[in-house]
Amino acid sequence: MLKVAIVGCGKIADDHALQIQRISGCEIVAACDTEPLMAKQLAERFRVKRHFTDLVELLNEARPDVVHITTPPESHFKLAVSCLERGCHVYVEKPFTLNYPDAQQLIGLAEEQKLKLTVGHDAQFNHAARRMRELVQSGYLGGVPVHMESYYCYELDDSSYVRALLNDKQHWVRRLPGKLLHNIISHGVAKMSEFLTTDAPQVIAHGFVSPLLRRMGETEIVDELRVIISEKEQTTAYFTFSSQMRPSLHEFRIYGPQNGLVLDQDRDTLIRLRGTRFKSYAEKFVPPVIFASQFLGNLTTNVRTFLARDFHMKSGMKYLIESFYDSIVRGTPLPISHREILLTARIMDGIFDQLSARRVVPACESHVLDGMPLQFNPKHSTTLT
Amino acid sequence: MEDRSEIVGHEAPILITGAAGFMGLRLVENLIERGFRNLRCFVRASGAVDKLEAIADRYPGRGIEIVKGNLLSRSDCAVATKDVTVIFHLAAGTGQKSIPDAFMNSVVTTRNLLDAALQHKGLRRFANVSSFVVYPNVRNPTSGLLDESCQVEQHPELVLDAYCYAKVKQDELVTEYGKKYGLPYVILRPGSVFGPGKKQITGRIGIDTFGVFLHLGGGNRIPFTYVDNCADAIALAGLTPGVDGEIFNVVDDDLPTSREFLRLYKRNVKTFTSIYVPHAISYAFCRLWEQYSRWSYGQLPPGFNRRRWHVEMKRTHYSNDKLKKRLGWVSKVPMDEGLRRFFQGCLENG
Repeated sequence: MLKVAIVGCGKIADDHALQIQRISGCEIVAACDTEPLMAKQLAERFRVKRHFTDLVELLNEARPDVVHITTPPESHFKLAVSCLERGCHVYVEKPFTLNYPDAQQLIGLAEEQKLKLTVGHDAQFNHAARRMRELVQSGYLGGVPVHMESYYCYELDDSSYVRALLNDKQHWVRRLPGKLLHNIISHGVAKMSEFLTTDAPQVIAHGFVSPLLRRMGETEIVDELRVIISEKEQTTAYFTFSSQMRPSLHEFRIYGPQNGLVLDQDRDTLIRLRGTRFKSYAEKFVPPVIFASQFLGNLTTNVRTFLARDFHMKSGMKYLIESFYDSIVRGTPLPISHREILLTARIMDGIFDQLSARRVVPACESHVLDGMPLQFNPKHSTTLT
Repeated sequence: MEDRSEIVGHEAPILITGAAGFMGLRLVENLIERGFRNLRCFVRASGAVDKLEAIADRYPGRGIEIVKGNLLSRSDCAVATKDVTVIFHLAAGTGQKSIPDAFMNSVVTTRNLLDAALQHKGLRRFANVSSFVVYPNVRNPTSGLLDESCQVEQHPELVLDAYCYAKVKQDELVTEYGKKYGLPYVILRPGSVFGPGKKQITGRIGIDTFGVFLHLGGGNRIPFTYVDNCADAIALAGLTPGVDGEIFNVVDDDLPTSREFLRLYKRNVKTFTSIYVPHAISYAFCRLWEQYSRWSYGQLPPGFNRRRWHVEMKRTHYSNDKLKKRLGWVSKVPMDEGLRRFFQGCLENG
């Protein structure tokens, strides 16, 4: 029986606990939070025997095999190091660390200790995302990806989270290097990292504060981001994060030399895009029928999965955790490679470096841009080295 | 001059948490009208204070201090509670769909506030505003009486309702501080608070989750309390001598049935199609949903369950006898007048 501990007992910890309890062969043996009441509530609701306010105490007394770190991102690195140094495998919620050097150090430590380490990019393991991975691996694209488009949007509504973030200048999200982006975009960036083949693509980022936020007096929170990624003049990718566009997409498109695929994460659908064309007017009539039948197929699959009780909102998280545990117990490959984790961290660093570099602009330019001094300047593009 | 029917004088510092909220604003006005001149209004750092400032403008020189902060911060709590004699704790947890969020913003905040208040040693009363949601109402027979003697939820951890869990735990914490540290407290449990500014129809009447309004209440009496009447009850509970450790349910007189309310709402605000769902069917539906949720390992969250049916849909009678006898409370705004103002507010706010 794999002994699991959860460190950080907030909202996302509930999702972890729920999914872990659906997996056989493991048990949550301890929970930890610096706030004792939070540790106690999680332990009480999920019938976890022990709860702690100190991680070292937990590691020494509960002796878990795996630790899930579900704290705010600033603490991920330090907590993960403590766990790895005491011989525990670690699942770190996204974003993995605050920057690439920390990610590199953490992965180095895990490899040195021969321990398993993963990151909570669970959106890559929803049903349709898994079907897409299988198709790509089977060669459906017809070669190395030519181009990818990743949309990862976030609706800024009037929720308490948004109000708190906008009005609280000390909010923890503001302390992250990439602020709001840092806490959200890794899911969308990781999708591209999975299919990029080099470790040093060129990254060109363009970000700005949306008119909506500017009207609300916000000047720091970048909530519109467009990124171009290019590697070896072979594979390119566009990444879009937007708080304003509708529909608020969570979509991934990947095109190879022969065919393409469109993954809609919100609807859990996967559509194949045939590279060949039909002759003459057939191109106008046959493909719509093929698309219709594909959507019908997706509907059938989703209904069947639902009836089989395997269509939970967090099914990707369960699959990721299960695969991670399998890699520990059975020695199967890690569900997310270290290369992918590092590349995601590098791309994110590249984006945030460019956004922060462009913040330092002359006052006159800032004035002209109406409080939106984050315009693209080619000299600020980054080749990750 | 000190009113002998109140535990503190009119100059005594009073703290109101959640002061910018729907109920908080009415309580601040109620206390001003009672003659209190030293009100510390605590609001979230991200909260709008325009309505509170408007009250301060209407009552110049009445000592209304607006303090912005976060009850999760112990230092903010220390500032808020400094020298206060009475605390009206109205701040409610946000993130009602997430148990950890609701818990953190209700229980952890209350603990911080209580710890800070005890440090200052001058506290005469902690008025904790809870909710009817803590009563499971399962053992009560149909048409039975729900009053302060009814048992509260014993296993909130099994209920999977964020608000219920947070409120049960908050009440437990306050009671524990009463026993452990001699904290002088009262607990108020309002029913369904309504008034101008509230738009939604309470779930006790019906829901529109499935695209059409399902009328679930039928002939049930709805435990309404008009916001001004409720604020009055809270003020009395915080100020009346000799009620430490007591619990008060807050409901108005002349409670309408769900059917009566819906008819009036349609006549006065807007017409829409509603389908009446008999209690037996709503109970069966809740039971099926709950069983499916369990069978599917939560594929559908147990939003509809038998406990919710007992709390919101079961025919129950309510009492405000204790409120009247111990606090001398009267329903100053009659139900028909309260409903008229509510409907008017709905029309004005679209």
